[in-house]
Amino acid sequence: MSNLPIADELDQAIEQMLATPELARRGSGQEVEELLAVAADLRDLPRDNFKTRLRLELEWEAAGRTVTADAAQTEKRMPAMQPASANTASLPGLFGKAWRGYPVRRSNMALSFALHVIMMLAVSAGLVMVKSMAPQIDTHPSVTVRLEPYPFPVGSAAHHGGGSGGAAEIRASKGPAPQATREQRTPPIVLPNHRPRIAMEASVIAPPDMTMPKTRQVGDPLSVLAAPSNGPGVSGGMGGNYGGGFGTGEGVGRGDGGNRGCCGGVYEIGNGVSMPRAIYYPEPEFSDEARQAKFQGEVTLLATIGIDGIPRDLHVVRSLGMGLDEKALVAVRTWRFEPAKLNGHPVTVQMNIIVNFRLY
Amino acid sequence: MDAVANLAGLANLNHERRLIEAAQSDPSRFAELYENNFHRVYAFVARRVSSRDEAQDVTAEVFHQALRNIGRFQWRGVPFAAWLLRIAANALADRWQRAARGLEVPADEAEMENEAARAETAEIERRAMLFQLVDRLPADQRLVIMRRFVDQKSIREIAQELGRSEGAVKQLQFRALDALRGQVRNNNE
Repeated sequence: MSNLPIADELDQAIEQMLATPELARRGSGQEVEELLAVAADLRDLPRDNFKTRLRLELEWEAAGRTVTADAAQTEKRMPAMQPASANTASLPGLFGKAWRGYPVRRSNMALSFALHVIMMLAVSAGLVMVKSMAPQIDTHPSVTVRLEPYPFPVGSAAHHGGGSGGAAEIRASKGPAPQATREQRTPPIVLPNHRPRIAMEASVIAPPDMTMPKTRQVGDPLSVLAAPSNGPGVSGGMGGNYGGGFGTGEGVGRGDGGNRGCCGGVYEIGNGVSMPRAIYYPEPEFSDEARQAKFQGEVTLLATIGIDGIPRDLHVVRSLGMGLDEKALVAVRTWRFEPAKLNGHPVTVQMNIIVNFRLY
Repeated sequence: MDAVANLAGLANLNHERRLIEAAQSDPSRFAELYENNFHRVYAFVARRVSSRDEAQDVTAEVFHQALRNIGRFQWRGVPFAAWLLRIAANALADRWQRAARGLEVPADEAEMENEAARAETAEIERRAMLFQLVDRLPADQRLVIMRRFVDQKSIREIAQELGRSEGAVKQLQFRALDALRGQVRNNNE
């Protein structure tokens, strides 16, 4: 049921009462009159936050502190600044001295302050100790080197070769070397086959740019015999072993070795060819760039170690960058080796020098 | 029923005595005595001063004095409120130098037993109860009462603040006053 007429009448009476409090007001009915009497008493209600504020003041005082007179006067002069609906106390300040602040005992504050100072000192001391006792973590460079044989690729012109022969009683005749080609179709022979099924020019596997005499009569340039002979070897070459080349080795090349190739200068490690042994090997340095970037890895160099033990023809086979390739080359160029040996004699070999740059 | 008995009926004397003793040994325990007597002291003071600010000032002064002097309080079986009201009367007398409104300060608590004092005490209790009941109103009704009678705002201003219609605010005002009247009547009965 709506009480709007009574509510309106009551509000009008209240409005008059508030406007002229000195005049006694009467309602039109008993109910309105009773409600108006209640309303009259409510004019003396304390402000919304007064009770709470006074309690905080008392608690403050009971705790041994007093609210400053200035703050109290400010509150009196500017009551409108206090939100009428605010029924909560302000948050305590650090020293609890703010107006309506939380009451704080001096002794408790002093104790709390001392404990905080002790805690802060303890934490600071701990940090200093941890920092001083911590191991100095630094990137320590380490360079290791290992030597590996260089496996000659198949077909490489750098292999030495050898000849075979025609199963004759004497060594192959002296003569100019046959034509050098990359693929051998017909092995060179001193005594030519005059009725070949397919006429092919004899050749040995050697670098194409090798200059060979253009003549039909070929022979072993190292031989001293002038009589025509294919030599005591087998398999159709000219020389003393077997294969399609000439000379005393095996294979289709030229020279004294035992495979294909030519020139006999660079040996492959293994098969009687020993590994060179480094006798002076200053350690390569780390580049500053790689050190700052904490960059590490391996650089592989290909070197030809001569019979004098000096590395030559250094090439970077696997690059690392960051200046480490150059550092490896600079160092390895100064190295000295005990040369590789074949049957007790020093020979030239190619080998891989792997420089491992590490940071620890 | 005399005034002392009237006050005693509103408070458990034994419990109050323990509270006083606790506050005497530890002033921080004064809070409960304050809560139990705040509206009573304020109602007593508010009837004798002309403004709310003055009533609040005197009330605050009373409780500060009570806290400072709680150690000197001697239990005689008289409610603590009587002691507080005596402090309040003295404070008012000091303010007006015993001239304003012809206020007579009772010589001691026994003087409250006369007829006028008895009526005065009943009125104080009724108004203190009314003020306490305001705090127990529903939030919206309490807000309207505080805005209307403490801040003395118009219904229109309150309606704007609450975002409600003026009719709704009048209804809240009516229901609040009606509830207060009913609860005061029930408590008196």
